[in-house]
Amino acid sequence: MSVSSGPSPLALPGRERRALYRARLRAWAPLLVLIGLCLLIDIGNPRFLTIANLVRVATAAAIPLVLALGTTFVILLGSIDLSLEGVLAVGSVLTSLLAANDANSLSFGLAVVPVAVLAGALIGALNGALHVGFRIPSFMVTLGIWFAGVGLATVLLGGGTVRVLEPLVRDVALARVLDLPVLVWIALAVLLLAWVIQEYTPLGRYMYVIGGGEDIAALSGIPINRTKVAVFTLAGAFYGLGGVMAAAQLGVGNAMIGDGRLFPSVTAVVVGGTSLIGGEGGVLNSLVGVMIVTVLANGLVLLGVSPYLQQAIQGLMIIAAVAVSIDRVRSAIVK
Amino acid sequence: MLQTIQLSKSFGGLPALRDVDIEIRPHEVVGLVGENGAGKSTLMKILAGVQQPTSGSLRRDGVPFVVHNPREAAALGIGMVFQEQSLLPNISVAENLFLGREAEFTRFGLMNWRRLHAAARRELQRVGLDIDPGRRTAELSFAARQMVELAKALSLEERVRGELVILLDEPTSVLERAEIERLFARVQDLRNRASFVFVSHRLDEVLALSDRVYVLKDGSVVATLPAAEANVTQLHRLMVGRALNAEYYMESDQAPYAPEVVLQARGLGVVGAYRDVNFELHRGEVLAIAGVIGSGREELVRSIFGFLPHTEGELRVNGLAVRLATPADAVAQGIGYVPRERRTEGLVTLLSVAQNITLANLDSVLHGVRIDYGQERTLAEDWVKRLHIRTAGVDMPCGSLSGGNQQKVVLAKWLTARSRILILDHPTRGLDVGAKEEVYRLVRALCRDGLSVVMTADTLEETIGLAHTILVMRDGNVTAVFDAVPGAKPVQLDLIEHMV
Amino acid sequence: MRVPFAGFSAARLREFAPALVLAALVVLLAVSTPGFGTPETLLVVLADTATLFVLGVGLTFVILIGGIDLSIQAVASLSSVVVAMLVPRLGYAAFPAALGAGLLCGLFSGIAHVKLHVPSFIATLAASGVAGGIALLVSGARAVTIGEAGRAYLQWVAGSVLGIPAIILLGAMVLVAGMLVQRYTPFGRYGLAIGAGEAAALASGVRVDRHKMAALAVSGVLASLAGIFLAARMASGSPMLANQLMLPAVAAVLVGGTAITGGVGGVGRTLIGALIVSVVRIGMTFLGVNIFAQQILFGAVLIVAVALTIDRSKIPIVK
Repeated sequence: MSVSSGPSPLALPGRERRALYRARLRAWAPLLVLIGLCLLIDIGNPRFLTIANLVRVATAAAIPLVLALGTTFVILLGSIDLSLEGVLAVGSVLTSLLAANDANSLSFGLAVVPVAVLAGALIGALNGALHVGFRIPSFMVTLGIWFAGVGLATVLLGGGTVRVLEPLVRDVALARVLDLPVLVWIALAVLLLAWVIQEYTPLGRYMYVIGGGEDIAALSGIPINRTKVAVFTLAGAFYGLGGVMAAAQLGVGNAMIGDGRLFPSVTAVVVGGTSLIGGEGGVLNSLVGVMIVTVLANGLVLLGVSPYLQQAIQGLMIIAAVAVSIDRVRSAIVK
Repeated sequence: MLQTIQLSKSFGGLPALRDVDIEIRPHEVVGLVGENGAGKSTLMKILAGVQQPTSGSLRRDGVPFVVHNPREAAALGIGMVFQEQSLLPNISVAENLFLGREAEFTRFGLMNWRRLHAAARRELQRVGLDIDPGRRTAELSFAARQMVELAKALSLEERVRGELVILLDEPTSVLERAEIERLFARVQDLRNRASFVFVSHRLDEVLALSDRVYVLKDGSVVATLPAAEANVTQLHRLMVGRALNAEYYMESDQAPYAPEVVLQARGLGVVGAYRDVNFELHRGEVLAIAGVIGSGREELVRSIFGFLPHTEGELRVNGLAVRLATPADAVAQGIGYVPRERRTEGLVTLLSVAQNITLANLDSVLHGVRIDYGQERTLAEDWVKRLHIRTAGVDMPCGSLSGGNQQKVVLAKWLTARSRILILDHPTRGLDVGAKEEVYRLVRALCRDGLSVVMTADTLEETIGLAHTILVMRDGNVTAVFDAVPGAKPVQLDLIEHMV
Repeated sequence: MRVPFAGFSAARLREFAPALVLAALVVLLAVSTPGFGTPETLLVVLADTATLFVLGVGLTFVILIGGIDLSIQAVASLSSVVVAMLVPRLGYAAFPAALGAGLLCGLFSGIAHVKLHVPSFIATLAASGVAGGIALLVSGARAVTIGEAGRAYLQWVAGSVLGIPAIILLGAMVLVAGMLVQRYTPFGRYGLAIGAGEAAALASGVRVDRHKMAALAVSGVLASLAGIFLAARMASGSPMLANQLMLPAVAAVLVGGTAITGGVGGVGRTLIGALIVSVVRIGMTFLGVNIFAQQILFGAVLIVAVALTIDRSKIPIVK
């Protein structure tokens, strides 16, 4: 006996249906915000929607996107990763020290890329292991690793800054393919990879399961601990890659290279619609979020507004995004 | 075939199941009925692997087995459709159906959605559900989700040899008439593949669907009857029949209440929970609210204490209309709350007895903005003496006290706060007989002193024994009001009629 | 389960562990480093600790109720900028202005957290963005030096009284005030209750929302006080002045024994934690360890401290 005919008797009652439509509308909000933002900025300064400027925006968004993708995975679990700046610093320092540089005679060329990514992955794995093994909340573990990472980067450098001289590495940022910097292509490739992981691998699905209901997941035999460690490792790898990209772009490696990158990353993820509680959102949401943050920064410059206000505006945005999305019924006690 | 032999379960020394022997034969639907707290849910959870028995054994086709979690139970062909749903709302129906089995659809590390959806569609056919398996589970109606859970439980058939046993825990409490009929039709269709255990407080439904019925009371099986030969009245009597000891509830101490109205509700309602509730609480009166889960009584009680502000009607305290938006508002109106969850909502277990007693009214020990520790001590010691609270000292953390004594600390807190209206939410839950008696004595004493009580009790017995007035609720409405004057108390049968 | 008043037991030991660790460290350093045990050095240690301690006190009140304040760094920096820019023009009035800025930041976090139900770490992270942005804007992203004339107004912090740096006395006043508030006022009692059992506190009529708002506001004000201390010691204000202070402040609170699950700990413990952090920092500097490298140690210490003090029964699912 099928139950699909007619006005479905299994359809939602009125109140729930309205809530469902509201939720669907909310899902489109970030994209609408992005479009609205682009239009507004273009009205204020028509130079915004030009090819040259859009390329500039894409270039500016490349590294933040890679970072935000890593952060997205962790937030999908319902956790947070504050160690971004530290891991990125280590990645950039390793890149600058192992490729041709002005401080030593090592010259491993592009082989530094997998090294930096691996280093990032290892630090991420440490995050995961401490979090899962000692049952310490993720924000505490990653807070400690953040500063430890910056410290480690400094120790590796022996203080100061190292200039990257390896042309292949610098090309990662400076060379162009089809008029877009290689940086952008890398970001797109990482986006594709992240999307495949999210949609087509069990690991990706488990992120949603754990974020959506860890207790139910446990009862169903999902390998929770393993998944969590894997997710933090993945995030670390992305941050390490971000470090390579940053070193390539700025031509230097130093411990401060990650400064101020955590906040826009978290903002992008939240504003894009990924819920802090976990289980909602994803890679495409973060793409929109990163674009919003980057477009905003670009727009502020074009409109003559002080770029110093960027973080202030990001702060307001993140609060608005969280306040709008938080499910009041689910979280009765907010800490 | 599934069997339990002398199955027992205790929580912290208090028995929930006592030597339960039941049997589920192939192709049959077994009904399980009993009052709130009779042990139905506990029994189901043990069968499903969610909890472990304290003693006794389980047998499958004559072979003893032990399961530590639902996964292991599923491997033996036992599946449960939970009362509080166990589907994840944020993923698709197909993913929920095969939660934990993703590896079966993964090749070279990538998932084959086409195969997953095809398999999902097959499973959904079994329960006659023709929906897109890729839909987000949150978008389905409760009834549809119930069906998906049923399909998930039934999907065990493909992985397990032999007969399945599907446990249905209160599946119909939130369903509409048509949806219930659909569910029953499905169950009948599926008899040849599985046996069912059907737990519900809706006795007519149980009799309609089951072959045999077990009646549980106070954790034991008191009867088992073929459904065809039983009727609802008979079941009622079996479920609740016990000699009511009038003195246990100190009915001789039940004094008539004063005419003064302290709390009044007119057309009170919360959308989706309860509607049109009217009552008048008088000084010195105990007003008990009876009802099963889903009747709205829990929400009503939460409304009176400000956890769930009412959306319709009005509430008046001592004649003045109030809107209690938070518990702090209720406390300010002289209302106190003795909660069911003593250790999380009643007391701050890490703080001392004295600190807990003054928590609702710090002003009583304040000089300006300074807390007078000496005064706090004296106050606490005074209560310890008056209420006979057994503790090594008022500086002991409340977590170290026994349940009964913790309850007294909670009462002391509200008495310090000079509450005139007390809400008692399952006040004797988890207490031994002696402690319960003390609570009853206290309630009588408080009423004599002019306090008024709104109460939801664990058992009908307690409800009838302690109350002056009883409000019976079902499905969000008040279905009956009884006067419970000592010597002319209603019997449990009278109440049950209006509860289920 | 922690049982704070039981007799001699592991829990009791944990309570006194920080103090014992501090004592051991001081002895170790005094023995191995000449010149450490002198009164002059001790005063320097205490003076160094004062700023960190004041930052930690505000943070303690927030952590006690189970939240976190990630904005203290930015608020302190903003406050130093306010002082540096307003002292030449407004004299002593610059100080209330700085404190007011801190209060506003705290209220911002408070409103976001309490009214909009935003988790405290996001609310305070956002506040740090706003505070940081304003600091950058007002200062033009540079350090603002305080000239001769301005420095006169800072004497009440930078100067000495009877040979003791004023900053130590001010820190002591904050300590005393903090301990009194914690132990003797409703604010202190409610904070403890909310941290140890928020559901029960709520069900006892405690105005939890109001308290959380107040705790964040206090944290903001104390962070801005710390900013004033920094401005006085550096004779300048900058939007990056308090950078690198966040981790030591959090470490001070946690190492001192206040649990991030809330309900256990306090201002007195934070003092011990702050002293431990200071002593370790000085020790490492003597050993020639770079300040950034010190962060590696603090990062590890933080994780260990949390692992030891956290009450896992309060958080069934650790995220």
